[in-house]
Amino acid sequence: MKGERLRRMVDLHAWVGMVSGLALFVAFFAGAINVFHHELHHWQEAHYGDPASVPMGMDGLLEQVTGQYPDARKRLYLLPDAEDPGVMWFESSEGDWVTAHATDFNAEGVREDVPRSALADFINELHFALGIPNPGWPINIGMTFMGLISVMYGVALFSGLLIHWPKIRKEFFALKHEGNMRRYWKNLHNVIGIISFPFHLIMSVTGAAMGMFTVVAVLLGALVFGPQLRGVITEETEVWPAVDSQGDTVTMPLMEDVLSAARNELPDLTVDWLEIRGYGDAAGWIDVAGSVPGYLGHHAHVVLDPTLGPLRVIAPEQRSFNFASLSPVYSLHFGDYGGLLVKLLYFALGLLGSLLFVSGNILWCERRSDRTGPGRSSAFLLRLTLGVCAGVVIGIAFSFLASKLLPHTPLAGLVAVAERGVFAVILVLLVAWSLRASPLRFSSQMLRMAPFCYLAIPLLQTVLEGSHAWLEADNRLVNLLLLAVAACLWVVRRQFRKRIRQAEPHPLWVGKVSGDNPKHLTETEREAGTVASDSAS
Amino acid sequence: MRYALGTVLSLPLSLMLIGLLAAALPMPWQEWLVLQLIAAVLLWMLLVLLVALPAKAKPILVALGVANLAAWLALQATPLYGVGA
Repeated sequence: MKGERLRRMVDLHAWVGMVSGLALFVAFFAGAINVFHHELHHWQEAHYGDPASVPMGMDGLLEQVTGQYPDARKRLYLLPDAEDPGVMWFESSEGDWVTAHATDFNAEGVREDVPRSALADFINELHFALGIPNPGWPINIGMTFMGLISVMYGVALFSGLLIHWPKIRKEFFALKHEGNMRRYWKNLHNVIGIISFPFHLIMSVTGAAMGMFTVVAVLLGALVFGPQLRGVITEETEVWPAVDSQGDTVTMPLMEDVLSAARNELPDLTVDWLEIRGYGDAAGWIDVAGSVPGYLGHHAHVVLDPTLGPLRVIAPEQRSFNFASLSPVYSLHFGDYGGLLVKLLYFALGLLGSLLFVSGNILWCERRSDRTGPGRSSAFLLRLTLGVCAGVVIGIAFSFLASKLLPHTPLAGLVAVAERGVFAVILVLLVAWSLRASPLRFSSQMLRMAPFCYLAIPLLQTVLEGSHAWLEADNRLVNLLLLAVAACLWVVRRQFRKRIRQAEPHPLWVGKVSGDNPKHLTETEREAGTVASDSAS
Repeated sequence: MRYALGTVLSLPLSLMLIGLLAAALPMPWQEWLVLQLIAAVLLWMLLVLLVALPAKAKPILVALGVANLAAWLALQATPLYGVGA
């Protein structure tokens, strides 16, 4: 690639990286934890010792919910759980989805307001929508924004590949520095980017496809396929058409029988949830949704009528091309296709991805300062980057701590609000602090504090819940992951301190942005300049 | 500015190019909608990359605008819009 063109490619890479870097840091750090979303749901449940009474089963719960809430009869999701099954439905009086668990109902069958942590859902929302709430609009603003960010991220990946392709062998594993930290950050950024390129490509394409779905569907309808597209999307993606009720009622089968009938159709099915449309209506149907292990696109559905007659089976080798294409999009993004090992790999790559975006932003700031001389914009972005990153990392740790601590205090009813509130407060405070403090001192202080925040979470749970924190499998896994995050932050801290001892930091880091610091080109620009002068001569 | 405009102009173009591909291929477009979505997203990314290549911004942005118009006109010659549902 010619020198001028290479320089423009570097500019594009920097522009898209800068625009999307901070949002991607949030998405990746929360996403690394969110890989274990299901386990986190179990972890967040407060444990007060052995329950006094055994909660009702799935059938009792369905009877109570559909009896008390007519909206639930139209469409509900049943989350099977041996200890505490749950039901989710859209409550029109509240204008929102409502979840009720078996333990929410007392002996008289009255639903009580039991305070529950919503930590797993909050981490999930941070991951796919930066925690931006969806007030029920036709388009989810946060999710669409993250879809656009994913497109930028894809452009950054392709431009990064084009920039580094000619010298990929030379730079591979070349983690070194030249008298200051700039070279170290650059090589760290390149090595992580190159090693995890396939993972990042998967994340950007699947993330963009999911996040931009509404926008793309609207534009495809407007420009290409016309108004027919909406009906076609519904037809191609729904498991069974909407209920056309004739007013005939039917006695609903026991859920254990429903699960048996589904396994009869698909013996390897692992059930995740059940969707029931038209509960008690003869025209209703039940979708038993889950996975068939051993496939990348492992999602499966068995649709049954209320008499347990099979209506449709959607499984890895029995599905339309659209379902066969959609399933890998989800499984590749969520990493749930290969068991614990793949999930751990996604977790590690997610944390490394966070480091990729921090190092990218730092590089941009230092490069801009080097090229154009000292300026407020690069100093501001460096401080903002450090503030947001520290705020997100420490804020999430405090959300975890609030999730465990509050159920054991008189403020238990505020646990779900506190998890979000404490995150927002810490994020705002640390961003404000980072904009005033010296970046080097701020980073040192945050990196000293962050590992202890993550270390404190399993310790707090052990103090409050005793051996339950380690004997229950999901609790043990989440606690070990939190300890792994603490260890990773400790390693980053150690490396950061080592760099400070070995090399003088860039002037931006110590707040010495003055005219005395000479302008100098980065290595890529020097190489681009050399190529340009060679081609000119 | 070049990249922001390039990002905006590339989205409809990528969708219309995928639409033209759907019209050209012998299989019904309804059967591979998900693949079209993924292909459109990838094409969008590559078109934004293309915006960075020329030395001057104006010609490539004008070219993108013209390509959008041409793709839209070409789509009118296909039986896709509102037909064959």
